This record gives sequence, structure tokens and C-alpha cells, in this order.
Amino acid sequence: MNCKKALELMVLDLYGENGAAEKARLEEHLRGCAACAAEKAEMRRLFSLLDEHKPEDVPAADWEKAWTGIQAGISGKPADWRLSPAPRPFFAPRWRWAFAGATLVLVLAAGIVIGRFGFGPSPRPGGSGAQATVATAAMPTVPAPNGIRPAFAAHLEDLKPILLDYAHYVPGEKTEGRVYVDETALRTLMLQNVLLKRKLAERDPAAADLLEDLDLILKEIVDRGSNSAKSPAEIRDLIEKRDVLFKMEILKKT
Amino acid sequence: MEEQAYIRRAQEGDPAAFRELFDGHRQRVYGLAYRYLRNQTDAEDVLQETFIKAYHGLARYNPEKGLNFSAWLNRICVNASIDAMRRAKARNVGPFGPEEAAAMPATSHASDPERTARNAEIREKIDQALTRLTPKQRMIFTLRHYQEFTTREIAETVASSEGSVKKHLFRAVAAMRKQLRKYVQEDGYEL
Repeated sequence: MNCKKALELMVLDLYGENGAAEKARLEEHLRGCAACAAEKAEMRRLFSLLDEHKPEDVPAADWEKAWTGIQAGISGKPADWRLSPAPRPFFAPRWRWAFAGATLVLVLAAGIVIGRFGFGPSPRPGGSGAQATVATAAMPTVPAPNGIRPAFAAHLEDLKPILLDYAHYVPGEKTEGRVYVDETALRTLMLQNVLLKRKLAERDPAAADLLEDLDLILKEIVDRGSNSAKSPAEIRDLIEKRDVLFKMEILKKT
Repeated sequence: MEEQAYIRRAQEGDPAAFRELFDGHRQRVYGLAYRYLRNQTDAEDVLQETFIKAYHGLARYNPEKGLNFSAWLNRICVNASIDAMRRAKARNVGPFGPEEAAAMPATSHASDPERTARNAEIREKIDQALTRLTPKQRMIFTLRHYQEFTTREIAETVASSEGSVKKHLFRAVAAMRKQLRKYVQEDGYEL
């Protein structure tokens, strides 16, 4: 047995995974190889050090919070799998003021996305003034590798309530066949969606695919007043068929 | 009721059965994620991700293919944990934040400040050494050293060959040894 093999057997031996034959072979090698015997002594000290400073006990988790998150993650599935009552419709009257505020935030966020990632001014050719240099530095046309991810995650968070409303849509229940969506907010979200899709197309195909699905769904929602419009139930089915809510949960975290 | 019955009922769409499966496996899945990530928030996220993926994959799960439910969940959890670690590294966030530092156990040498400081230093070095392993090495080392899985169980969990697991384990131990040589060569840690 060579020393390299002996080193491997030492590790397995310390974990108690060697059979009798391997143990015997290792012992035989160690008897004739002082260097390996010293190696083994050092490895035992390493294991002893690690054991003496083992990580702390696993802290208690909040199981109900975790379960709630799991339910949210699977809520795009049929209603009989929804383990808690369906959430209150997001666009119920009591939420409208909150939604108006959120719309304002969205418009501002869209402005930031456009400014940072979409249409940052290019330096003027031949321009030597300090102003051009500062503008380029402040608004890069190519975002930092991870710079777009928070915007993507925030975008998914913004869309989630609308999609949940449709995903939980039941014909004839309370809303009498209508799901209220603010037109301005919707168009802002569509614009944001297009910009993010463009930016993520090469860098993250999975995210771009999801944004493609969202684009389709948003167009159907925007189009809801026209003659060829899909019904809320059809939009719900589209969300379910493409597993959009689940993909959002997963990609939001990646 | 036997676990197989819960699995069958969950596959048929019984939410209460899926909750039973969650209750039966949550501690182990969370513990596995926590031992690897050493961050409660990330471990809770991985716990959720594991069960969401399990829910969506339940229809395809077939115990007759040789992987029991526990090992199947472990496999999902391991992949989710490795992804979470990569994301944390990409964010440049160390896995051992203040939350975790505060959760470190009180030393048994509280009356000896010098030794307490020394222990804290060693623990920090161990954490750093773990952080420097590749995600796969770290997972295999964690499963073997802290979770006490056998290499065969690890191979099943990470969907790899036993030979490949051993190779990663040897490299991980060698890297840990290199990182911690200074402390290993000092007296006081001989078994």
C-alpha cells in the first residue's frame, strides 16, 4: 500500500468505516512508515479539535411560520390543496388606499429600474466634461452582476398579490366575476416586466422564461376589457398551468 | 398510521397527510440545512423550499425505486442547501453572522477568560475553514462529521457514487487539516 492510499484509509478509519481487512492493511503500513504514523496522530488531533468545538445545537425553528411559507409556496395548486382559507381579495375596497400608495412606490421603482438598467445615458462621444463622466458612473448601462436580482425579487413580490387574486378566483363568489386591478399599476408592472426580461435574457434564462410567462399573463389581464379577452377563470387556469406561483417562489430566492 | 400510508394519501391530494409528513421530517430536514448553512434564517428557507419541492414532486416519488422518503427529502434538502450556500457566497454574506455567533454555547471554561478567548478563536477558525471548502466538499464533510451519515448514506443522499463521496471527503479533511494545522499541532487535543 502506498502512502496516498494509507491517508485515505486513515480518514475512513477515524470514521469507523474500515472493514477488518482494510484496518489490518493500514496497521501494517503504519508499522513500517513513520511519516504516515505521524500523519495519523495529527489527523486524530484534528478530529479531537473539531469534536471539542462542535457547532452549537440547532436552534428551534418556527414550525408554523415555515408551514405558512410552504402553504404559500404551493398555493398556486387547486383549491382542495389550499390548507388555509383563501386570502382576502387584495383589491377589496379597504385595500384601495394602500394600493394607491403602493402604486406610487411602483412608479418610482420603475423609474429607478429604467434609470439604472435600461436607459442610462451613454457618455457623449468626445465629451470631456466632468458632467458626462459623473452621469456614466452613477447610472451604469450594464448593472453589477448581482445588482438586478433585488429588482427582480421586488418585482415578483409586487406581482404576487395580483396573481394570487386570480389564482384563487372562484366564479360568482363575492367579486361577481370581476377582479379589480388598478390600470396604472398594471401598466407599470408590465413595463417593469419587459425591462427585467430584457436584462435577464442572457444572464438567467430561467428568470427570463418566468418573466415571459408573466408577460403573457399581464397582457391577458390588461386586455380584459376587449372582446377577445380571457375570463378571470381562464387567466387563473393559465397561472396554474404554467406553475407561475411556484416558479416565482423558487426564483425569487435564487 | 404508517408513513407509506401518509405518502399515498398525500399523493392522492390529502393535505392533512402532507402536514403529517412535514411534522415527521421537519426537524431532521431543518437540522441538516442548519448544520450545513449555520444560519437559522437560511435553514428555515431551505426547509420551506424542500417541502414545496417535495409537494410538487410527490406525484413522481416512487419508493419502489429504492429511495426511501427520508433519503428522498434529504436529497432535495441537500441540493437546496448547496444552492443557498452558493447564493450566500454570491451575496458575499458569511454563513456565520452575529445571530449565529450569539447562539454559540457558553463555554465550560467561563472562569478562565484566556481559555474562553482561545476557544472562541478556534471556533472561528473552524468556521472559516468550513467556509473555504467547496459547497460539495462542505456538504459531504458536514454530513459525515456532524450528521454522522456513512459514506454510503451520503452517496445516496447526494446522488453520487461512494467513490466520489470518499474523494470529496478526503479532500475536505485535507483542507480542514491544512487550515487548522496551527491549532492541531499545539498540545492539548490528543485523544
